[in-house]
Order: sequence, then structure tokens, then C-alpha cells
Amino acid sequence: MSTFFRKNLLPLATLIVIIIFFLAAAQGMNSQDFVITLLRGLSVGAVTFLVASGFSLIFGLLDVLNLAHGTLFMIGAYIGWTVFVRPDTFVDLLTPLALALSGFTLRDVYPLLSDRIRLSLSMKRILPWALILVSALLFILVLPRYPIAGWNLDNYAQSPVTYSYMADQGTRLPPPTVAFDQISPALAIGGLLLVSLLGSFGLSLFDQSARRSPQLTWRSYASFVILLFIGLITFIFNDALTNFLLGLNANWLFFIAVIVATLSGAGLGALMEMTLIRPLYSRPIYQLMLTIGLSAIGVQIVQAVWGRPEFIMPKPTLFNGSGASCPATNFSSWWQGNCSTILLLGGRVRVYNEILIPIIGVLVLIAVWILLQRTRLGMIIRAGVQDREMVEALGINVRRAFTIVFALGVGLATLGGALAAPSMGLSNAMGESLLLDALIALAIGGLTSYPGAALGSLLVGLIQQFMIQYGQIGISIPFTSLVLKPTPPIVPASTVLLMVIILLILPNGLLGKKE
Amino acid sequence: MQTILDVQGIHTFIGQYHILQGVDVRVPAGSITALLGRNGAGKTTTLKSILGLTPPRQGKVILDGREVQGMRSFDIAAMGIGFVPEHRAIFRDLSVEENLKLAERAKGDYVRKRDFIFDLFPDLKRLIALPGTSLSGGQQQMLAIARALVADNNLLLIDEPSEGLAPVIIEHMMSVIRQLSAQSTVVLVEQNFLVASKLAEYYVIIEEGRSVRSGMMKDLVSDKAAIHRYLGAA
Ligand SMILES: Nc1ncnc2c1ncn2[C@@H]1O[C@H](COP(=O)(O)OP(=O)(O)OP(=O)(O)O)[C@@H](O)[C@H]1O
Ligand SMILES: [Mg+2]
Repeated sequence: MSTFFRKNLLPLATLIVIIIFFLAAAQGMNSQDFVITLLRGLSVGAVTFLVASGFSLIFGLLDVLNLAHGTLFMIGAYIGWTVFVRPDTFVDLLTPLALALSGFTLRDVYPLLSDRIRLSLSMKRILPWALILVSALLFILVLPRYPIAGWNLDNYAQSPVTYSYMADQGTRLPPPTVAFDQISPALAIGGLLLVSLLGSFGLSLFDQSARRSPQLTWRSYASFVILLFIGLITFIFNDALTNFLLGLNANWLFFIAVIVATLSGAGLGALMEMTLIRPLYSRPIYQLMLTIGLSAIGVQIVQAVWGRPEFIMPKPTLFNGSGASCPATNFSSWWQGNCSTILLLGGRVRVYNEILIPIIGVLVLIAVWILLQRTRLGMIIRAGVQDREMVEALGINVRRAFTIVFALGVGLATLGGALAAPSMGLSNAMGESLLLDALIALAIGGLTSYPGAALGSLLVGLIQQFMIQYGQIGISIPFTSLVLKPTPPIVPASTVLLMVIILLILPNGLLGKKE
Repeated sequence: MQTILDVQGIHTFIGQYHILQGVDVRVPAGSITALLGRNGAGKTTTLKSILGLTPPRQGKVILDGREVQGMRSFDIAAMGIGFVPEHRAIFRDLSVEENLKLAERAKGDYVRKRDFIFDLFPDLKRLIALPGTSLSGGQQQMLAIARALVADNNLLLIDEPSEGLAPVIIEHMMSVIRQLSAQSTVVLVEQNFLVASKLAEYYVIIEEGRSVRSGMMKDLVSDKAAIHRYLGAA
């Protein structure tokens, strides 16, 4: 134990100084302000952590700085909103999505197929591009004609803002009937399937290392058949499923929305890694350009689909009550009234923002920690962060771990987005600022250290919220009678300042490893 | 005699550097074959090229009668190669036990091989819960070799096992490698000619990325001029 202290003297000392600073500065604050600010800090810290931890896992194992991580966080929020507020749209999307993805599950089959094709060398070069082009054209042709219930950005009455408001009031719309009037259903389904098969086959031709794959078994086709099945089932039972979700208790629907956002993020991450990131592993500059590009494209897509104006996501009813018994005075009265706020030590605390989010943050922290420390995958990740080559030399398919970690990292970000949507609101810019906070948190905590990501996020959250609070009540400098009022620009500046100071003392951050 | 590994005229590039420019290595099954050569000759790169970690651009690597060049390195390794790299590459964030468990290729490998490994390296048993960081150089080398023994490997590629170790520990390593060669084939990269000559039956000398000479170790030992010329040792 004593060697532990000696070895970690510097980070510990730094941490103690920071804590003392907080406590000293908090002297000028009454207890209810202190509790609220602390909890708000925890909340911001938890959301930052969900972005930072995924970013750091990806960077640690894959050496990829995924600058699209903030945008993916934002996309998570919008996906969560869609499932929660417009479950009918979500259900309409399931069929085309399942069909579009189905082809990508045939990766073991394609190499054998391409070995059978006898073509001249130049034709072999052109083939993948031709397939992808045909697939893309077909996609552009079919998708807009596929009926998906949605909203209308140009019409306020049918805009996301309005739907959000109505959902918050507990009004859910009868599902607008979805009609195939521009294309026959069979043609639409067949078309999308073809898009997927051609596109994924084309892409597979680029991946030379996919050859020499194992014998085909039923497993090679299983996921394909399952996805196809899902596509058809959701098509046939579209109305039933929509009505089921609309009739569902809003808490459950919210839960489903968060899960869907997380899983979509994981799927998106896996897809990103397999198609875009993988060819660029030895070219870090191009990775940066790619992820920045993806980030910009993501923002554009969100603007085009959900519009520019900000809107709120309603809270699940469990956290949305405002009846006579509110604010709740203790947790049992909160449980009865489902109050949105609760009185803690005299402070009025928002249950969803300031209690639920930190709790989920801690649960995720523990879950991922267990994954890293107690599972074989975690072992592969920890070893791979240090020496990928050696892991491979042990006969372990590191590439699969890469895909899983990318999926996990992006899934954590979209989970964060969906969770934060009811407290932050949805805006096209919500990802940028969060990515910045996450990067600062990682620089403070240590770029590839998982506990470091947690500690850094916590500090960033606390400092931000305390600074905001000091901006209102003033900060009394310890041992003097001076009172300082930080102006708004000080808030982001304070975390950057802390980062600079810590990096000057500890170049690898508080818990980072020395290289 | 049966050849377990046959490296035929491989050329390997690292970045734009043409590192290996024609290396041939034939490894008879059950033997210890030493790769010799001066610093920077390309011995490590040869091992890595066999494993596909630095895939050769030309030439063939035939393992158990199968051409493996161009295959993914984890697939090559999974055919039964244990790799003990230069500088050991112990995973610092993993405990000694986790370092060993990670090397499992089939579930239960570690439990099955544990006693065999601890017989060879009694020290490791005592250190089992410690993190990889806290091992001494000799202990790290033991762990690196032990790690290559967890899965059922019939070919061991061992890179400079004696590097930086005290003489007593070198003796121990040598006896272990000799014991291992009873069950598996060993390719040994060794700068210390005394160690190599005591262990190996065959040798291949690599010079500036080319294999320049190979044969029986006992013939080389008696050829002082060649030793001096190729290895700079007396
Ligand atoms: N990543 C790299 N980039 C550029 N050159 C490299 C790289 N790795 C190795 N080399 C060069 O390749 C040559 C062969 O290196 P290698 O490590 O195979 O030699 P070696 O025979 O194992 O030497 P040593 O006895 O020092 O371990 C050396 O000249 C080295 O400088
Ligand atoms: Mg070497």
C-alpha cells in the first residue's frame, strides 16, 4: 500500500489540492446551493464520461482519434427522441434497415463467391466499384419512395418541436397510415434487399484479407436469415407494433428508446470500423480527416432530417410529475408522486438530471470496468492497448476486438446522447461542446486510462458547474475577504486552465501511464 | 527428415525499407535451429515475417506443408506457433496469470498446462497474482516463454532469450529450452554464440537481410574463421 502512495504521489497530491480548492471555495456557498451544484457537476460529469470513456477505449486499442464521437453522441440523442416521441417512424424504419443490413452479414460467403467469378484483371478492378455504384443508384431510387411516417420541418404544426410538446403533454398521435403509393411493396422490399446484397458484396471485394475464410456452415447464413425475417415481420406487423409502442407506458417506451439508441450506436460503430476506419489503420492523418468529415456529414444529416431548431425531449413520466405533492420531500413521496424535483438538504434537485443520470453513469462505469477486468474480451483489450502485435502473435483475432471496441465506444456515446436529451435538449451543436469537454477530461485524467476518463470527466463536470454557480453568487477567496465573480467565458476557460496546469505537472494526466 | 517450417527466399519491406532480401530457413521437425547474425541483420524480422506480423512481399513460408504467407497473423499463429518476442512484451496491465490465460487458444488450455509450466518455472507460481509490471527481467523472460507454452504449439520462435540476464538465469533458460525441444521444434535467435552453439543442432546465418550460410551447428563451431567473419565473435 505504501508503495502505491509513493508511486502515485504526484497525481494524489494534485487531486488533494483540487479537492481542497473545492472545499475552501465552497465555504462561501450555502448547503443547498452546494448540494445542487455538486449533483449538477456529477450529472455533467456522467454524461461527459459516457463520451470520454468510449473515445478513450477506441483510442487506446485502435489508436484512432474518433473526432466524430461528439456527433455520434448527438445522433444518439436524436435516435432516442425519435423512438420515444415518434415510435411510428421508428417502426416504419425497421424494415428498410433490417433489409439494408442483411447483406453485410454474408461476409463469409462472398469470398467463395468472388473466387468463382472468372474475369479479366481490369474487370476485376472495376467490379467492386460497379456493384457499389449500382447499389447506390438503386438505393436513391427506392428509399425515397418507401413510405415512412415522419414530420414536416416546414410546417410548425407537424414539426419535431410540436410532437415533442404533445408527447410531453401525454398526447400521442394516432399513427398516420403508411401507404405504398409510389412503389409496390414487393418491389420496395426486393429493391432494398438487392441494394444491400450488391453493396456489401462490392465492399467485400476490397477486403483482400477476408479470403481463406472457414468452411461455410449454417452459421454463415444465420444472421442473414434472421435479419430477413425481422424485415418481413416488422413489415407485416407494422401497425400492430406501432400501436403496441404507442400504447406502452411512457417509462417503458423511454427505456426502449435508450436501448435502441445504444444498440444503433453500436451497430453504426461496427459498420464505421469495418468499412471506413479499417483501410486507414496505418494512416493516422487520414483517420483524422475522415472522422472530421464524418462528423460534419453527421451534423448535416441531422439538420436535414430533424431540422435546425432546438427542441426538448420529454422526460419519462416517472420523472415528470408536478402534482400537489411536489416537490417530493423524500424518495418514497417521490415514488408516489413521480415528482420531477425532490428536496435534498433544502435544495430543489431535479430527479432525472441530477440523480438518475449520475446513477446510470456509475452503473455504466462499473459495468465497463467489469467487462475490462473480468472477461476475456477485456483482457484482450487491456493487452491490445499496450501491444497489439503480441496479442495477434498469440493467435487472437485482434481485428474482431477492434470492431467490438469501436461498437462499444460509439454505443456508450449514443447511450449518453439519448440519456442526456431530456436534460440538455436536442440541438445540432450538442455534440461539439461535449466532445470538447470529453477531450479535456481525457487530457486531465490520462488519455487511455479508463479510471482516468472517469476522474477527468468528474472534475470537468464539477468545475463547470461550480464556476457557473460562482458566477451567480461570487467566489470567496479562501483566507481573504475578496469575492470574485467569474463571468460566463470563465466557465469553459476554467476547465481548459485546469487541463493546462495538470499537463504541465503531469504530462500524461492524473492517471495516465508514462510512456 | 521432415521439415516443419520452410522459408523460401522471402523479401520483407518495413515501410519503404527493403529489410529482408532473400532469406531461406529450413527447420527440421524436432530440432533446435539457431538464427545467427550481427545486430540489425534481420533475425527478428525473419521471425516476424514467418508469423505474418511483417508480411513478406515475395517468397514462401511453408508451415506443416501449407503456404501461409499472406495469411492473417493470428491465423498463422493459431496453426501452432508460440512466439517469445525480443524484449519479452509482457502485458503490463495484466497479472501474471492473465498473461498466461490470454494465451489460451482453446478453453481450459491454461488449467491443463499449468502444472507443466510451474514445473519448468517454479518462480511463476509464486508471482501468479502480481501485475506484469512488477517482474524482474529474468521473471519476465520466464513468463514470456511460459506464455508460448499455454496453447498446444509445436513450433516455438524464441527471440534472444538470454538478453540482459544473469548467467545463472541463462543456464536455467537453456535447460528449459532443451527440455522443450523434446516436444516441439524451436527456432532460436541468439546473439550469445556460446548459448546458441550449446543448444542448437542447426544454424542459419543472416547477414544484411540475406541468409548467407546454414548447416549443422557442430560444423560451424569448429570453423573459427567463419564465426569470426559472420558473427564477429571468437
Ligand atoms: N520499424 C522499422 N523501421 C525501419 N527499419 C527497421 C524497423 N524495424 C527494423 N528495422 C531495420 O531492419 C533491420 C533488421 O532488423 P531486425 O530487428 O530484424 O534485426 P535483428 O537481426 O533482430 O537485430 P538485433 O540483434 O539488434 O535484434 C535493421 O537494420 C533495423 O534497423
Ligand atoms: Mg532482433
